[in-house]
Amino acid sequence: MLKPEDFYRVLREVDFGPIEELVKKAVAEGHSAPQILNEGLIAGMSILGQEFKARELWVPDVLLAARNMHRGIEILKPMFSKEGGGSKGKIVLGTVKGDIHDIGKNLVSIMMTGSGLEVIDVGVDVPAEKFVATIQEHQPQIIGLSALLTTTMLEMRNVVEAIKGSSYDVKPYVIVGGAPVTEAFAQEIGADGYGPDAVSGVEVVMKLLKNRV
Amino acid sequence: MAQKISPKRRFLSGLFGGRKGDRPPVGNPTSIVSQELMEKTGIYFPQAHLEPKQMAELAAAGHEILGFDSIMPEFSVQQEAAALGCEMDWGSPSMMPDARTHPFQRVEDLSIPENLLEKPSLKVVLEALNILRRQYGHEVAIVGKVMGPWTISYHMAGTQNFLLWAITEPDKVRRFLEVLKEVTVLFAQAQFQAGADVVVLADHATGDLVSPKTYEKFLLPVHKELVQRIGGPLILHICGNCADRLRMFVEAGFDGYHFEWQVAAREAVQVINREMSLVGNINNATTLLRGTPEDVYKQVRYSVKAGVDIIAPECAVPLQTPVRNLRAIVEAAQEGF
Repeated sequence: MLKPEDFYRVLREVDFGPIEELVKKAVAEGHSAPQILNEGLIAGMSILGQEFKARELWVPDVLLAARNMHRGIEILKPMFSKEGGGSKGKIVLGTVKGDIHDIGKNLVSIMMTGSGLEVIDVGVDVPAEKFVATIQEHQPQIIGLSALLTTTMLEMRNVVEAIKGSSYDVKPYVIVGGAPVTEAFAQEIGADGYGPDAVSGVEVVMKLLKNRV
Repeated sequence: MAQKISPKRRFLSGLFGGRKGDRPPVGNPTSIVSQELMEKTGIYFPQAHLEPKQMAELAAAGHEILGFDSIMPEFSVQQEAAALGCEMDWGSPSMMPDARTHPFQRVEDLSIPENLLEKPSLKVVLEALNILRRQYGHEVAIVGKVMGPWTISYHMAGTQNFLLWAITEPDKVRRFLEVLKEVTVLFAQAQFQAGADVVVLADHATGDLVSPKTYEKFLLPVHKELVQRIGGPLILHICGNCADRLRMFVEAGFDGYHFEWQVAAREAVQVINREMSLVGNINNATTLLRGTPEDVYKQVRYSVKAGVDIIAPECAVPLQTPVRNLRAIVEAAQEGF
């Protein structure tokens, strides 16, 4: 049995040693890569996410955990290509035009990856057209928009309109988040979902993915 | 009604928790420039970040056109970063400036130029303060602004790197703060000498990014030292929900704390117990940007009743903020206490 608490503990270590050791041990015990990812790393990250949401852990803790998680996934990668992985869904994430802040977006990316979603991060200062172009290029089920500034938050409306007005038959859901963004604002601009923090963002995505299937 | 007093006396009285004048003061520790204000003055970003006369004149519109009791000429948070060698995008009328590069990853890379205060991005602020002092110093509160070493570190090294180091390399974080606090001291002292009545010290260890423990461990000792060494009155600006660390700001010795709407004003007033003044906390995103003058009125009256000492927008206002909403802050304060 894999214990999520063990993975939670090594995700919080400053050095890579403990996470490498734990993942390798799980492999040696005969657990499959998807099992280690889901029942180990993702489950551990989920504990961490709840503590972050409750303001018991903070952004530096999450950044550290993400670094460790990446290391753990790296070890599993060769096994995945053999066994075949399969993600729970695909999401494009980016910070809207005029805004170069990326910490919020990166946290969301960490939590989404940590929940088994495939994340395509298109970076910061992303114009509406580029978000629309990802629909063909990546066929995501969801596009997530981030903004830290009240000034750039207004750009989200343009992106939502561009995506909803695009000529694709199947249009992805659009979700929004960021410090100044509120549920009311999200609804007003026609977004399909909003999360006040990175962990809630994952919950919103999971709900939307269920709708789609 | 109490005797009518000048904007400057009103502001300073609020800052030091002193005698009440005719009405609560309205101040701006951070920028209140909007595109509409730029249109009214004919002075636009990015020039107003770079040219002292334009900087002073656009800042003065906050008093002349909006009726605020203070004038604060530093609109961006990047003047220090530019002076220290970050590549800048000075933005446009609809975009604030941002540092495009964060090239300083090691303490050894950091160096403070000997002619720091002669660097154009700092000199412009000092000259603007000087102009404002001569023109408005007799009756309006002149407010300066400097970044603290935590914020400057974000710009030097990149926010995410710096935050991660707080766990992985705490000694490096301490050394960054040690080196960069000298920039804060030099620039703040020069702003007082140039004519500021009070300086805002913005240090973005925000309530959404780091814990109260992180503030206590890394910044509290530095802030204590800054308060002592700078000498003049200081308003601390840290955004985010900092309700859990207000007493630390008191302990640091600041005269005022500029706070956000998400910190409940009544509780903050109670916790602080008049040991420091509170400046704020009218909501930007929902109220000033997208609300009506009536929404603004309600929030201002709430903050006044709660006992906030100086009424102000919670942070730099969005550039699309309508002038009527900014005026509504002053109008609501004119009703008195």
